[in-house]
Amino acid sequence: MDDIVLPGMLEATFVRSPFARARIVSISLEAALRAPGVRAIFVAQDLKQLPLAMFYNFGNPTSPMPVQTPLAEGYVRFAGDPVALIIAESRYLAEDAAELVEVEYDAETPVLTIADAISGPQVHPDLPGNISDDALGGDDPEIDAIFAGAAHVVSDVIRHQRQTHVPMETRGLIAACDGAGELTVYYACQNPHQAARYISKVFDLPGHHVRVVAKDVGGAFGLKVHPMRDELAVVAATLITGHTIKWIEDRVENLTAAYHAREQEMSVKLAFDAGGHLLAADIDHVMNMGAYPQGNSPGPLAMMMFSGPYRLPKLRHRTRSYFSNTCGLGAYRGPWMIESLGRETMMDLAARQMGIDPVDLRRRNLIRKEDQPYVTPMGLTMDRISPVETLEKVVREIDVDAFRQEQAAAREAGRYLGLGFAAYVEPTVLAFAGAMATESVQVRVEPTGKVVATSSTHSQGHSTQTTIAQVVADELGVDLADVTVLEGDSSRGGFGAAAGGSRQAVAGGGAAKTAAGLVRDKVKKIAAHMLNASPHLVEIKGSQILVDGVVEVSTTLTNIAEAAYFKTDRLPPDMEPGLEFQFRYRPPPMVFSNAAHACVVEVDIATGMVKILRWVVSEDCGVMINPAVVEGQVSGGVAQGIGGVLFEHAAYDDYGNPTAVTFKDYLLPQIGDVPVLEFVHTITPSDTPGGFKGVGEGGAIIGPPTLVNAIADALSPLGVRCLDLPLTPDRILGGLQQRSAIPESAGR
Amino acid sequence: MKELTIKCQVNGQAFEKTVPVRKTLLDFLRQDCVLTGAHAGCEHGVCGACTVIVDGVAARSCLMFAVQADGAVICTVEGVAEENGELHAVQAAMRDSFGLQCGFCTPGIIMTLVSMTAGEGATEDEMINALSGHICRCTGYQGIRRAVTKLAKATGEISQDDSHAV
Amino acid sequence: MKPAAFDYLVPTTVDAVVASLALHGDDAQLLAGGQSLVPMMALRVARPEVLIDLNRVAGLSGIERIGDTLRVGAMTRQAQVIASPVVAEALPSLAAALRFTGHFQTRNRGTLGGSISLADPSAESPAYALALDAQMELRSQRRSRTVAAADYFLSGYTTAREPDELLVAIHYPIRPRARIVVDEVARRQGDFATAGLVARVECEGGRVAASALAWFSMGPGVLRSPNAEAALNGGALADIDPEAVADLAVGDTDPFDDHHASASLRRATARVLAIRALTTIRTEELA
Repeated sequence: MDDIVLPGMLEATFVRSPFARARIVSISLEAALRAPGVRAIFVAQDLKQLPLAMFYNFGNPTSPMPVQTPLAEGYVRFAGDPVALIIAESRYLAEDAAELVEVEYDAETPVLTIADAISGPQVHPDLPGNISDDALGGDDPEIDAIFAGAAHVVSDVIRHQRQTHVPMETRGLIAACDGAGELTVYYACQNPHQAARYISKVFDLPGHHVRVVAKDVGGAFGLKVHPMRDELAVVAATLITGHTIKWIEDRVENLTAAYHAREQEMSVKLAFDAGGHLLAADIDHVMNMGAYPQGNSPGPLAMMMFSGPYRLPKLRHRTRSYFSNTCGLGAYRGPWMIESLGRETMMDLAARQMGIDPVDLRRRNLIRKEDQPYVTPMGLTMDRISPVETLEKVVREIDVDAFRQEQAAAREAGRYLGLGFAAYVEPTVLAFAGAMATESVQVRVEPTGKVVATSSTHSQGHSTQTTIAQVVADELGVDLADVTVLEGDSSRGGFGAAAGGSRQAVAGGGAAKTAAGLVRDKVKKIAAHMLNASPHLVEIKGSQILVDGVVEVSTTLTNIAEAAYFKTDRLPPDMEPGLEFQFRYRPPPMVFSNAAHACVVEVDIATGMVKILRWVVSEDCGVMINPAVVEGQVSGGVAQGIGGVLFEHAAYDDYGNPTAVTFKDYLLPQIGDVPVLEFVHTITPSDTPGGFKGVGEGGAIIGPPTLVNAIADALSPLGVRCLDLPLTPDRILGGLQQRSAIPESAGR
Repeated sequence: MKELTIKCQVNGQAFEKTVPVRKTLLDFLRQDCVLTGAHAGCEHGVCGACTVIVDGVAARSCLMFAVQADGAVICTVEGVAEENGELHAVQAAMRDSFGLQCGFCTPGIIMTLVSMTAGEGATEDEMINALSGHICRCTGYQGIRRAVTKLAKATGEISQDDSHAV
Repeated sequence: MKPAAFDYLVPTTVDAVVASLALHGDDAQLLAGGQSLVPMMALRVARPEVLIDLNRVAGLSGIERIGDTLRVGAMTRQAQVIASPVVAEALPSLAAALRFTGHFQTRNRGTLGGSISLADPSAESPAYALALDAQMELRSQRRSRTVAAADYFLSGYTTAREPDELLVAIHYPIRPRARIVVDEVARRQGDFATAGLVARVECEGGRVAASALAWFSMGPGVLRSPNAEAALNGGALADIDPEAVADLAVGDTDPFDDHHASASLRRATARVLAIRALTTIRTEELA
């Protein structure tokens, strides 16, 4: 985004609250307005001249959610809350001016944790309380009896720390007015069409007056799926002043004042019969939403997916989400991942408790081919999934028996190796009714014979410009090099939700395949007419049109295109000219993919350091358009999962100040921290066009439990509990000391 | 002084500009030289996305002031390919190994590897070690590792068939 | 994250530097490699009114062996020290210490003198200088002087260098009999250490003639281990009990809790490092 420079462009920066919770007593802009290069400064009041009304794009209308305004009005509710927007000739000068803004705050004790939110004062006084969602389900009267009578019951609480997305490119946008009321926003987003629609609605502008252009976006992971308060303040400033304004978020802002994620806990109770078969589960989940969340809690999705790849007869579940004076919750790659973390770690705990091998316990419970279609306790129908097949592949690849021998020998020598497994099912596409319901692709053969696909998909590293091109090329019969995919501009092509919910292969691929198929059929009809052949004998290969069995007769796609556009008398009678088709595809609301992962670790019990030695993946995302892309997505997700288990913590101190404000404190996995992943793919096609399934989020969902289970396995002889993330050296040593096997100062 | 006129060479082209002394080399390259390949990933010297080659060595351009580059010879990712467009071995290795997804961290990684593969080249371990100074959030470093393997092998050892880039 | 404005001086001689320091005092900061200072300036935590760039000053970099001393100019890049054949021959452990420091890219610009002057309690170079009893060569308009490491490093980020003084070079004694081990444990490659140790042991006739165990990340500043060293000195090498000495050495430290690591973790880690270092030294010496 920062690459774009427009004439007369000014730059923006924000004055942000240093307090987590305070009343704004006064704001003095005098000195700042006189600073060199300053062109305008806005506070909340100044934006009221516009008909500005933010709303939630992804929200449940019945859940209490705070009204959001671009700039803080009267109160600041988290450290980083934007209070003033400075527009100046350069970012350097804007930051100088920001230091001269004087804000007087009346600070109050902040509500920071879920516990604080339950007992403390309200974060949003105009809402009924600090609770947003409270959903209880599956409260079957039999469940208590089942637990009381079960042969085995395991119960514990899993806690996940707060993280943030950290795309390598921070947020940013350039807003420019092109004449009266027409806006072009160059915007690092996940979904240009969505963003344009949202901006036009927020500012009450006609839809076609807002154009969003997003070319290369440097990663997102959910952070950039919804226009945010500070971004909208910049757009507002452009509308008011007529200036072209660029705002590039800096890394401190990105780590502290964008969105946060993952802070939650879940208590899990599992009941098994004597044979180790799941009888029931009872889960209670609470999540920290922060002050200004992106949308509703992913709790309900976590409840929905908790049974995962297993046959689970009964599930009682409750999820509650709470507001706090912290940075708001935003969807982060697999937002509901606590279901897999909680379930898979508890399965291992159960296995250890029952004296059953963790692989074996899974074998006894996984949904088999003969169980499908399987209806989960939440009423989801799972079909075309392969939990057993993927697990067995991983088990074979790891050679579990050999590892257990190695592990035993290592223990004799005082070294602690561990092996962890996890299995999961991922609900991909998430094309529920609403903005995510459809995706649209137009495929056209240009008069030159080259193919252009205008797609509503959008890549921030997803390679959709390659995968959509592949689908089109394969379907149409042209070389990949002859297909161009255009994305990233809301003025081009029809509306689509683009990236989010692991949906683009299915939704975009399905639209692309169908549209390309329509083009192909028309090409064949034209060719058949021109070559006097039967349409079903016509083949398109590498843009050559051939007739099966008749070698001498052929033509080119270019010739067909010229006829379609220019020499229309050569077309079959009554055929419309042109070679362009748009298809809007409505995929099923969910397409399930699944995987099993395993990893081997060594834990140094003297220093608490964890080294990952091996990682094996068998994922089933249906037909793979491009295996390199699939493996890339899984790998990136696993790396983020490793970050979540070992390194990343967007922590706050007791005053509500974020403590991880730079990359020195917010630690991301480096190349040495992520092992080489070994893949053994499984393919169970979906029943959507192409047989594709989603895969983008999976690594971040199943990665954490795989690693946690390996660490727990390593430390199992020492009985260390590993359910409070992150598993830093301090947590691991603390766990070891708690078991009192090892005195504080010892090392081995 | 508050500003200074500097002369430097970037990708073989001479630049002479007057810059504020506090302007970083990164901002100078991106704004004054209009070479936007080096990226601002953190502006505090950790992520490596701003890495360029200054007088022969890989350096974090966000941690230098433009005025420090007076008289320097600088190479950015825009200057790495051949004039006829043929990719540098590092670029080709990264492309062939699917070493990037969003591409934001990529130019910095390329410049570190370009600096290391010049002259005698470097071992795989040395390159992996050097890449600890780069953060990638998309790839899990898998393709980057494969690219390094190609580049290390390319400096003189027998290469195996690695047509299976995946 | 843009730095606040400053006045920029780019002297070419040491005399010009010390004149500027005398004039500006605490208003000035010296810019060496910039790998630590510039991030602080980007965050506006450091806001010098005057920035004196040392990168064009003649005579401040270079590595030479002068008899039993290795003299390293303060502006010598960390990468240059690592690559130097002189260092490889005379004092390879110095290169080893620097290989732990930061990353490949930061070592290309970062300087030995910059690291020594900053005296970050988690940095390798100050601890190394302390373990070797290095001498810091300082210059000002008033005088030239040399300060021994033990008197130079006062606490974290605090040295004996006065505001008008420039660190010109570091002199490391070369002790042929010394075995020097540098080791640390860090969360990730290049991170500041959870705990770090530079151990120097010299033996003569099977007995420990001299020792220095210098810690980093184990206190408010870098520090030695007087009790451990006293236990080692004069003792028979074969009798060294690494665990017992390590306990003494850890007992000499003073770590605190921060959000990267607790004092307890640091002590546990330090103990591992001490045992490893002493075991290595004893094994090598007896071999």
